[in-house]
This record gives sequence, C-alpha cells and structure tokens, in this order.
Amino acid sequence: MTFPVAVLELYPLFRWLSGVLESFGFSANTVLIISYAVLGVIMFSALSIIALFLVWWERKIAAHMQQRFGPMRHGWHGWYQTIMDAIKLLQKEDVRVASRDKIVYFWAPVICFVAAYLAYIVMPWGKNLIVADFNIGILYIMAVTTFTVIALLMAGWGSNNKYALLGGMRSAAQVVSYEIPMVASILTVILFVGSMSMVDIVTSQSGWIFNWFIFKLPFGPIAFVTYLIAATAEANRTPFDIPEAEQELVAGFNIEYSGMKFAMFFLAEFINMFTVSALAATLFLGGWNGWSFIPSWAWFLMKTFGVVFLMMLIRWTYPRLRVDQLMEFAWKFLVPVTFANLILAAVIKYAGWHW
Amino acid sequence: MDKDQLSAYLTDKSEGKLTLLEVGRHDPIFKVEASQLIEVCTWLRDDEQLKFDFLCNLSGVDTGEQFEVVYQLASTSKSLRVDIKVILPYDGAEIESVQKVWAAANWHEREMWELYGINVKNHGKLEFLLLPEDWDEGFPMRKDWDAPDFIRMPEF
Amino acid sequence: MSDLRTEEYYLNMGPHHPSTHGVCRMVLKMDGEKVKEIEPHIGYLHRSIEKICENRTYAQCIPILDRFEYVTAMSCNYVFALAAERLASIEVPERAEHIRVIMLELNRIASHLLFYGVTAMDIGALTPFLYGLRERESILDLFEMTCGQRLTYNYIRVGGVSRDLPNGFIPKCHEALNTIEKKLADYEGLLNENPIWLVRTVGIGVLPAKVALDYGVSGPCLRASGVQYDLRRNDPYSIYDRFEFDIPVRHNGDCYDRYLLRLDEIRQSIHIVRQALDALPEGDFKAKVSPNFKPPAGEVYARIENSRGELGVHVISDGTKKPLRVKTRGASYNHIAVLPAFATDVLLADLVAIFATMDVIMPEVDR
Repeated sequence: MTFPVAVLELYPLFRWLSGVLESFGFSANTVLIISYAVLGVIMFSALSIIALFLVWWERKIAAHMQQRFGPMRHGWHGWYQTIMDAIKLLQKEDVRVASRDKIVYFWAPVICFVAAYLAYIVMPWGKNLIVADFNIGILYIMAVTTFTVIALLMAGWGSNNKYALLGGMRSAAQVVSYEIPMVASILTVILFVGSMSMVDIVTSQSGWIFNWFIFKLPFGPIAFVTYLIAATAEANRTPFDIPEAEQELVAGFNIEYSGMKFAMFFLAEFINMFTVSALAATLFLGGWNGWSFIPSWAWFLMKTFGVVFLMMLIRWTYPRLRVDQLMEFAWKFLVPVTFANLILAAVIKYAGWHW
Repeated sequence: MDKDQLSAYLTDKSEGKLTLLEVGRHDPIFKVEASQLIEVCTWLRDDEQLKFDFLCNLSGVDTGEQFEVVYQLASTSKSLRVDIKVILPYDGAEIESVQKVWAAANWHEREMWELYGINVKNHGKLEFLLLPEDWDEGFPMRKDWDAPDFIRMPEF
Repeated sequence: MSDLRTEEYYLNMGPHHPSTHGVCRMVLKMDGEKVKEIEPHIGYLHRSIEKICENRTYAQCIPILDRFEYVTAMSCNYVFALAAERLASIEVPERAEHIRVIMLELNRIASHLLFYGVTAMDIGALTPFLYGLRERESILDLFEMTCGQRLTYNYIRVGGVSRDLPNGFIPKCHEALNTIEKKLADYEGLLNENPIWLVRTVGIGVLPAKVALDYGVSGPCLRASGVQYDLRRNDPYSIYDRFEFDIPVRHNGDCYDRYLLRLDEIRQSIHIVRQALDALPEGDFKAKVSPNFKPPAGEVYARIENSRGELGVHVISDGTKKPLRVKTRGASYNHIAVLPAFATDVLLADLVAIFATMDVIMPEVDR
C-alpha cells in the first residue's frame, strides 16, 4: 500500500502500524485515516510539549534577567511547573460571563488553538520529516496563521467587555498591518528559490553555511530583520503586545476567559511564537541543514529555539509601543523598507549578481 | 519677609479684612469674614508682594461650638506661608467656593462638605468623594456624630 | 459613508486595574482609543485616619499615620512629630535630627526606586521593576536593622526617634548608597536612551506650570514643570539648611522629565545622606517627652517635602492630650485631582504613562 505521509523518518513506525491494522482486516482507506490520526496525535503531543517547555523557558529567562530564580519547586529548576499549571487550569471552573455572545465566545479559543497547530502540516521538522509537502506550503502557512486574528476578534467581541473589545480591535489592526511587511520579506526568499514548497526552500539552502538566505548580501539580512520584527508583532509579543497590554487593557482579549479556555489562548500564543521562529529558521537560517553528525531535526530545533530565545530577550528588555506608534512603524517604515528590499532582490536576481 | 513682617504687611494692607488671630507657632493665622473671603483670597493671590499662588490645604474643623474653615496658603515665588481662617456658626454653615482662585480647592471642599456638612456655594459639583454614594448616616467628622452600630454595605 | 456613526463610550478603569496603583477608579469617556474626559473616583481605601487620630494621644497617632502613606512612612512619622513638636515647643537633640534626615532621605530613595520600577512596568518594560525593587530592598534592610520594620516604621517619635542607630549601621548604609549610585547608571542605560521609552514618554502628558500651581501639584511633578519649589529649601524644616544639595528642575513637564527628575533626586538624596552620616554627632537620640504630653491650645500646619510632594498635617490642639483635629494632606490627592485638567485627548496608553509618572499612591489619597 502507499503511505499517505511524507514522514520517511517515521517510515518503520507506519509500516508496522499498517501491518498490524491490515492483519485485523481493516481496509486500506481506514488504515490511511488511522495513520493520519496517529500522526496527528504525535504532532499534537510534540507541539504541546514544546509549548509547555516554552512557557517554562520564558519564565526562567525572565527570572534570570530579573535577578531571580523563577519556578524552582517542581523538579530540577521547576521543570514540570508548567505541567502542573496546565493541570491546575484544566481543573479550574470555567467562569463564563452571563452577557457573552455564546457561540462566538465558545469558538474563539478553539479556533485560535486549532489555527496555531495547522501551520505544522507543512513545517519541515527535518530531512524527510514533514507531514505534507504542498507546493504552496508557505502561502498555506500565511493563510492559516491569520486565522488567529479572527479568533482574537471573536474573543474580543464575544466577551462583551470593553477591554476585550479594545484588545480584539487592536490585534486585528496590528496583525493585518504587519502581515504585509512579513509577506514582503518572505517574498524575497520565494523570489530566489522559485518555489513556495517548504522542502524546496530548505534544500535550496543546503551545502555550506553561506547558502543560508540570511547570508545573501545585501538583501538577506534586511529581509531577516524585517521578518523578525513583523513576526514579533504577529506573535503579539513585547514591544508589540498591545492586544493584551496588561497595564492598559488588563488582559486584553482574554480578560473574560478562565480555566481551560484561557490555557488554550495561552498555549496558542506560545505555539504561534514557535511557528514564526520555525519559519525564520526555515526561510533564513537553512532549516534543518547542518553538519550531518547531528540529526537534521535537532538542527531545526536548535535554530528555532535560537530565534525564540532572541524574541524572549527582546520581550524582557523593551517597553511597549503605543497603538498609533505601532501602526506608524508598520506603514511608514517597515512596509517601504521591505518593498524596497524586495525590488532590490528582484534586480539582483535578474542581473544575476549573486551566488 | 519673615512671619512678623508678613503679619504686619497683611494687617496693614488688607484694610481691616484680615484680623490677626495668632502669630502662630510657625506661621501667622488670620481671620477673615465669610462674606469677604473671595475678595481677600483673590487679593492674596494677586498682590505683588505676596503671590499666594499655592493652596496647600483646606481643612474643615469642628471645635464643638463652631465650624472653622482653614485655608493654608503658600507662595512659591516668595516662600511665604499663611493660614486664613473663616469661622462659621454651627447652624447653616455656608461658605463660598474658592475654586476660582485656586482650582485645588475643588476636592478639599467636596470633602469638607460631605464630612462636616458645611455647604459650599458655587462649587458646581458637590458629590460624595470619600463616602459611598448612598451614604445617609450624617456627617462623620462632626464631634457629635455617633458611629452607627453597623454600616450597611453598598449593594452590588 | 454618511450613515456611518461613531459613538463615545464610557470605560471604567479601576478600582481593580493593574496600573491604577491601588484602588483608584477613573471613569473615562472614550472615543475609540482616545480619552476624552476623565473623572476620578476615590474613597475605596478610606480608613478614616483623621477621625481615628482625634481619639488617640499624640504618641498614638504616629503609628496610625504610618498607614497614611506607607511607601514613605518615615516622612509620615516625621511630619506629625514635627507638628507636635511645634505645638508643644519641644527641642529635638542634634543626633536625633541627623538620624531623621538620614531616614527621610533613605526613604525618599526607596520610594523613587519603586517609582522607577513601577513606571517602567506601566509602560511595558517588566524587567526594571525587579531592578528597582532589588536596590530598594537594601534600604528596607537598613530600616529593618534600625527599627525592626520594613514598611510601617513608627520610628520617628515626638521629640526624637524611638531608638539609636544600631551598631554597624553606618558602614552598611555607605555600602548600600555606593551600590545604588553604581546601579543608577545601569538603570539610566536601560531606559534613558531607549527609543521606545522615548517615544512613549517625551512630550506625553505635558503639565503646564500654571495648571500645576493652580491645582496644588507639588514635589517632583511641579519641579518637572519648571517651578523650583522644594520645601527643604523654601520652607526649611529639620536641619536641611546645613546640607549642600541641588534642587533638580526640568522645564518640559512631560512624562520623561518627571521620570528623569526623580532619578536626579536619588543622586541628591544620596549626597545628603552621606553628609548627614559624616556629620552625625554623639548625644541623645530623644528628648524627654511624656507619652501623654499636653501641648498648649493652638494650631499648626506642618509640611515637609516627601518623595511625592508636599506632605502636610494640620494639627489643632485644645490643650488636652488628644488633638482636636488632624487633617492630613497628601500630594497624590492633588495629583489625581489635576488629571482631568491636563490628561485629556490622550490615548489610553498615554493615560497609563501619565498616571504612573505622577507617582500617585492611593492610601494617601483616600486616607
């Protein structure tokens, strides 16, 4: 039978699984569906673990930057603190506002959570370690990550709270504005690779380190920096965390959410951060390329966590921008710069002045 | 100007509107009639030698026999301090608002009104400031006020 | 487009809001993100300190007034002691005056360090908060060493202080001051030149000097608007006239100036404490005052410059051992009252920055 997934690294597992299933007399279609389901569970677990780890990591980084220890009680340096937090949140009462918009209020965290996970269908975790290699992979990612903004707007509207509404409106304005410079920086990469498939983008950067897109002078570094700025805004992190600006909007769009619904927003936020970092690693830092004595997925994770680390350092250093300054920065600085960079890259590509 | 010179100056120039009550342990204290309050306050603020442009504090006082309203004034440019006292009868205590002279008086007067029951004319916004909105237990800073046995919590 | 309609709405900021520093409630009339009108509502923390004081002896009032403005409780102790001393004409020993100055200035530094952290946090930088608290901790340790308390000290009493400086206080104090002075450069490096910090504070919430004086704004907020008015110079109390220090003044009156001015004041306070420590004479730390002393009838309004501005207390004595009237005046009271006069037509985020740099503390407002 043909295997439905491009996860060649996990090939033995799926061959064993389908063998077992076929011996029970399941049809090929059922086996296919079950294989996808198993894969989904693996991806979900891996991402949840990563998100939980990121929460813990962020707390530790923040604590050490602020000259304290952070979580220390649960395990070595509090390593299972966030697991306990998640369990606590699961057990908490789901407090709902009486005046909420029932449908919108319920679906907002769900959509936010699902949208955060969807991007990983085309994420190349390592050599031959990708769920599905679409030929429009990067476009797909841009499309599904934008779902988040709908979820935040829904949360802001459905909560029937002015702070939440302000947060939702801010996040819509912010994400829509920063999408443009983000796409424009990604376009420089696509322009050179000539394909939107994630696998093609990674393989085009194989070889030695100067094949990484960030080293394609002069436009590579500019595209990387503009992408990183836009991605920070996209992931709603300081200095661009105005949708949930704690000191202004208390908690922004998630002010009326508690328990598991809040946890879904919270985890989705960290997964979004991981997504944009993984994209940065894939597009600019060579993805899973690296010396072969370290497994390719380890390279991918190292690069991604490096970008995440950078974003965390920024978050705990800078103050927050104001909403109008944020917009001005996007439209008056970032958009012109990224488009100029794109044109520059196009000219260089056309003239062939690159390696 | 030290405080003796200041008291002499104020007694001279105020044309009898300010009467010295006490040179004071630290600052002179003057008495003014309630009817002449605004006039005197404006003069104190605008006089070139005085320039009392800063209202430090405004206290209502219940001495047991009468109300007193004390305005503590300061001059930022001349480094002067003076207290102006208005004595009001216990019944129907009423005083003109000095907000037009010093805007800082606004909240102090509201507070005095709610805690002592001294009515403030031309205040513009006499609403409860410190007390709950539905307070009807009297004027708590008056000497003859007995605390009610229990105070009803506002309803939520 | 003609049938599109916008509507102003009311936003209830507080009493429980992360950046109202306690329980201040502001009803904001908003046009989108823009604040059109502010109406502060206070009184959520009212503890009737003034009424309680009328039923206490003068010595018993001091721990009550600790709770009046707990971030700089030393100055609350001091201002009441000053009023009582002026009423009863009590001479305070030299050593006690020096110790008082040391404590007042240390407390000012502690308060300004807290301001540094809290303001940075309100503008979104979370890390400086912990830095500010770290150095404040070393001062609180000194206070704990001196009087056993970290927040409400009840240390400065009528006629002196409750006990002498402990052994080893002076070297430890010098050490703490040196650390703070060194760390201050780090703090400034973190925020002063930070572009995001600059766009968030420069030119935001300009408080004109005229409005400030009219509304009784005092202390660093007034000096940031260009009025050189510091009670340590303009209405000297204690022994401040013996020390050499500058009164920092800035002229723009925006959030950035209010922030910088407080950092400057920390330096000046360090300077004063060092001078006081060097000049510390031997002798009594407390004059002999009966606990139930009866000041002659009369009244006095004592005012001092604490970290927020003018802290005043109006005490009236009727010749008995209890005061007839105690009226407290905190700087924050006027700082909230002035908000509707100048903080309109700003964005919500700016209002938070303005509120933070006015350095309002609620127990002082509600009393």
